[in-house]
Amino acid sequence: MSVGVLASVIVLGGVLATSVATAASPAAGASARASGAAAAGAPEADRAAIAPERCAALHKRGRRPEAHACYERLILQAGSAPRVVGTYWRAEGEWALGDYGAANRDFRDAVAGADAEPARPPAGAPSPRAVYRVRWGLLLHERFNDSEAVDLFNEARAREPKYAPAYLALARVSADGFDNRAIEWTRKALEIDPRLTAAHELLASLALEDSDPALAAREADAALAIAPDEALDALAVHASIELLADRPPDRWFERMGALNASYGEGYALAAHQLILAMRYTQGVAYYRKALATDPELWSARSDLGINLLRLGDEAGARAELVRCYDAGYRSPETVNTLRLIDTLSRFVTIREPGIILKLDEQEAPLLRPYFLEQLNRDIADYDRKYHMKLPGPVRVEVYPNHEDFAVRTLGVPGLGALGVTFGEVVAMDSPSGRKPGDFHWASTLRHEMSHVYILTATNHRVPRWFTEGLAVHEETQASPEWGDPMTPDIVAALRDHKLLPVADLDRGFVRPSYPGQVQVSYFEAGRVCDFIQSRWGVEKLNAMVHAYALRKTTREVIAQTLSLTPEAFDQQFQAWLYASVGTTVGNLPAWHAALAELARLAHAGRNDAVIGKGDAVIRLYPDYVYDDNAYELLADAYLARENRPKAIEVLRRYEHAGGRSPQLLEKLAGLEQDAGDSAAAAATLERINLIDPAFDQAEHRKLGDLWLAQKNYAGAIREYQAVLAFHPLDQASARLDLARAYLAAGERNAAEDSVLAALEAAPDYRPAQKLLLELEGKKP
Amino acid sequence: MRLGITLVLGLAATASLAPAPALADTYFVTVAGLGGEPDYEQSFRMVAGELDHVLQGAGHRVYTLSGESATRSRLTRTLREVAGLAGVDDDFVLTLIGHGSFDGFEYKLNLVGPDISAGELAALCNHIRSKRQLIVDTTSASGGSVAVLERRGRAVIAATKSGTERNATVFARYWADALQDPTADLDKNDAISALEAFRYAAAKTAAFYATQKRLATEHAVFEDAGRAMPVREASTEAGEGRLIANFTLVRLRPAAGEGTPDVKRASAPADAAKRALLARKERLEQRIDVLKYQRAALPPDEYKREITEALVELAKVQEALDR
Repeated sequence: MSVGVLASVIVLGGVLATSVATAASPAAGASARASGAAAAGAPEADRAAIAPERCAALHKRGRRPEAHACYERLILQAGSAPRVVGTYWRAEGEWALGDYGAANRDFRDAVAGADAEPARPPAGAPSPRAVYRVRWGLLLHERFNDSEAVDLFNEARAREPKYAPAYLALARVSADGFDNRAIEWTRKALEIDPRLTAAHELLASLALEDSDPALAAREADAALAIAPDEALDALAVHASIELLADRPPDRWFERMGALNASYGEGYALAAHQLILAMRYTQGVAYYRKALATDPELWSARSDLGINLLRLGDEAGARAELVRCYDAGYRSPETVNTLRLIDTLSRFVTIREPGIILKLDEQEAPLLRPYFLEQLNRDIADYDRKYHMKLPGPVRVEVYPNHEDFAVRTLGVPGLGALGVTFGEVVAMDSPSGRKPGDFHWASTLRHEMSHVYILTATNHRVPRWFTEGLAVHEETQASPEWGDPMTPDIVAALRDHKLLPVADLDRGFVRPSYPGQVQVSYFEAGRVCDFIQSRWGVEKLNAMVHAYALRKTTREVIAQTLSLTPEAFDQQFQAWLYASVGTTVGNLPAWHAALAELARLAHAGRNDAVIGKGDAVIRLYPDYVYDDNAYELLADAYLARENRPKAIEVLRRYEHAGGRSPQLLEKLAGLEQDAGDSAAAAATLERINLIDPAFDQAEHRKLGDLWLAQKNYAGAIREYQAVLAFHPLDQASARLDLARAYLAAGERNAAEDSVLAALEAAPDYRPAQKLLLELEGKKP
Repeated sequence: MRLGITLVLGLAATASLAPAPALADTYFVTVAGLGGEPDYEQSFRMVAGELDHVLQGAGHRVYTLSGESATRSRLTRTLREVAGLAGVDDDFVLTLIGHGSFDGFEYKLNLVGPDISAGELAALCNHIRSKRQLIVDTTSASGGSVAVLERRGRAVIAATKSGTERNATVFARYWADALQDPTADLDKNDAISALEAFRYAAAKTAAFYATQKRLATEHAVFEDAGRAMPVREASTEAGEGRLIANFTLVRLRPAAGEGTPDVKRASAPADAAKRALLARKERLEQRIDVLKYQRAALPPDEYKREITEALVELAKVQEALDR
């Protein structure tokens, strides 16, 4: 290829550069206007030389060997170019050829050089100071350093406020983090440059993530109108729209393949959309297609590994992630997930019909019976409710280290959720992964199991809001004490009328627009399902499940099952909701002040005053059962006045309102037991088991004693086994307790084993000796 | 009747002696070193006082040095005195409370005036004839003393796993608690052995740091197998814990004609049948101990059969004794 031809390509300038969305690296994903601009910033003589966008165009068209050679030449010619431009070219070439360290150094030098040079670019061309920063930032973004990348994009923006690629680059980083600003930045980029193809493509993809296929299609079409032969991602978005609608995507992928036969990114984009739609198996299949098209697309391979793990395929996941690692693709998600797989290898696996339970080996002896009991209960309830059986066993992984759970879910730490469901795989925090009382694990498990059933029943064709809403709804169906009582943040959101229309509720989960919106959306979705059940009956909820399975939209589902428009539904729902919570919402400011005053009185030891005002404070906001709640202050005041019956009454109200402090519940159990109400004491201690079974060894022994006395032998056995799971120093007493429970339950062999174990620890332990002789004496 | 004699060794130094028994005694020497600060001073003195109270109540021969009396010369004199009194069959326990230091070569216990090194303590203890000795070093950096103090027949318990754990320790207070808390009696024989006290104190210490959400700066160890390799848990395979498991520190209830061998010797009834039962019981207990230590070497079925047989037999003997 002659220099003259190259020059003519470059002279084509803006359109080509704009449309070549990905520059040096296929994954960089930024506008190549930057490269064109760089050339614009170079002296005229240098324009005859090869330039980065030429190489990027070859790469984008799948002409890999030529692109490779082009980048090699780019590096070679850098020596003869002016210093700053040459350094920049070298950086682009090194980046494309995988020498990231050298590229990083040269970008740094190029930026420093551009800053030092007074030369101004030709009119209309962007400043190299901005261009180089954006390109450097995109390299850093590709190599997992978003923090410094964002700094560079912002610096570029500051130096050149009208440089659209800087905004697009910020949008890419935000999009990767599901940050709502992604849309904002993309729109800003398009405002500056409406012909920025890559921005239209990104907006299309974001719209599809937000369950808006119509907007996605419009934006993809806009990209294709600007650059019909270059907008590969726009074609992939169209294909994804078809896939999500269960229509064949082939014609779009064929067009994409005709333009670039090795464009794996297109399939990876479709896979990403499928994963977001919770269609994991299909998503994995498309990641495989991406890799079949481009085996060196490491980001897709890493995503494949992570999603194989989500489907429970540990070996497959490890193999893919190790390949990434060995190839130098060591994204935080890749490395963290590999570490997590190592952690998982230390988990014990408990198999029962329909269940694979994975517990940390240290926690397994304690948690196993409680989790199995709840899982079996949930499965029986949902089987009955949905008239179906799960096609395979559900796999539940319980993580004592919250950050392991976060990595399991996202590949990186820092997730706020408690549990997550990937089809038939559930991952969740262990009770020990959180501060005692922070969450109700049985409620969380029931929530996730609801997802398992709904995803199965709808073949994963269900909007996020509805599956989340049903899951929240199911928590309180199990017990009104389960689920999360309204937090002050939710009350404040209700006060500020921040609820979303039901047809747009997905947005509150996928791309929240204010802090705490995800929690508000969970609440809203749950209450929507509560409302439907209370107004129309549970069969309407089931009908909605079936309607979603048939790929109806929320608008269609509401109209078909409830004979309402979504707008009318919203009106009725909000009237119903505010009728039940309106008082609390209106009381919020007064409650803040009243609770603060109550706490002050309690701190001052003015118990009579606390008793006088406590009930009124509770009435202002009965759902408030969190830190420093009025129930606790009032109960303590009653106890200080030695009025135990009133203290019990207040703590029971706390319990029924969903209060879950193990300390307070233990206090209540003690008071109930002292008052001679053993049944209530046992029930209260059982509640602690569903919140934090590891809270207190003594609580299990007490509950074992209560169950034994109440002839609930299975319960007593479980509780005494729980005591042993704490590895108590006093093995003899713990094993003797268990032996007695076994004997009471008629399990003589187990009783004998336990009493012998007690005596092995303490051969002279008289009570155990007596029980042993009793057992021996009864032998036939 | 117990005749208590208190030897005034200083402001806070006491030693009370039970009447000269015909059988083996246990000599306890407790030293609470220099606190340096009022809080530590009070804490060390309090723990030493508690131990003194418990051990005297148990009828042992007790020497306690704390406050101004906790000097090297007083300690040296006391240990020499014990060396003159204790026989081969008497047990000897030295408990060190306070601050220790370790410079990488030598451990020292901080005392009023000149400190005393582990080497000096070992030399003084070597003059005591007791075949079974126990040194409980509860100080900071106490792990640095183990290699010098230990020898065949002398167990060493240290509050820290090495000389580099230099923060003030809490092990001592739980060690004192262990000798008073019936729940420390893990084998339910109404006596607290050194191993039981160690396990109790180590567990409580760990729980203390966990509750306080602090990084644990002390990890208690013991060495009683003569291998100069301190461990944190007894091991039947390696024989670690054997000596301290049989080293009784206090009894929770007065023995009534039976119990551990020394008490049995002291108060065995004249009744021949009962004597025979007691002897049988002792043999069974020994057999159970041996079986437990051989567990790893025996096929599981054989172990289960034999231990079951012995435990059932022991229960029957006890039943007969109780009649």
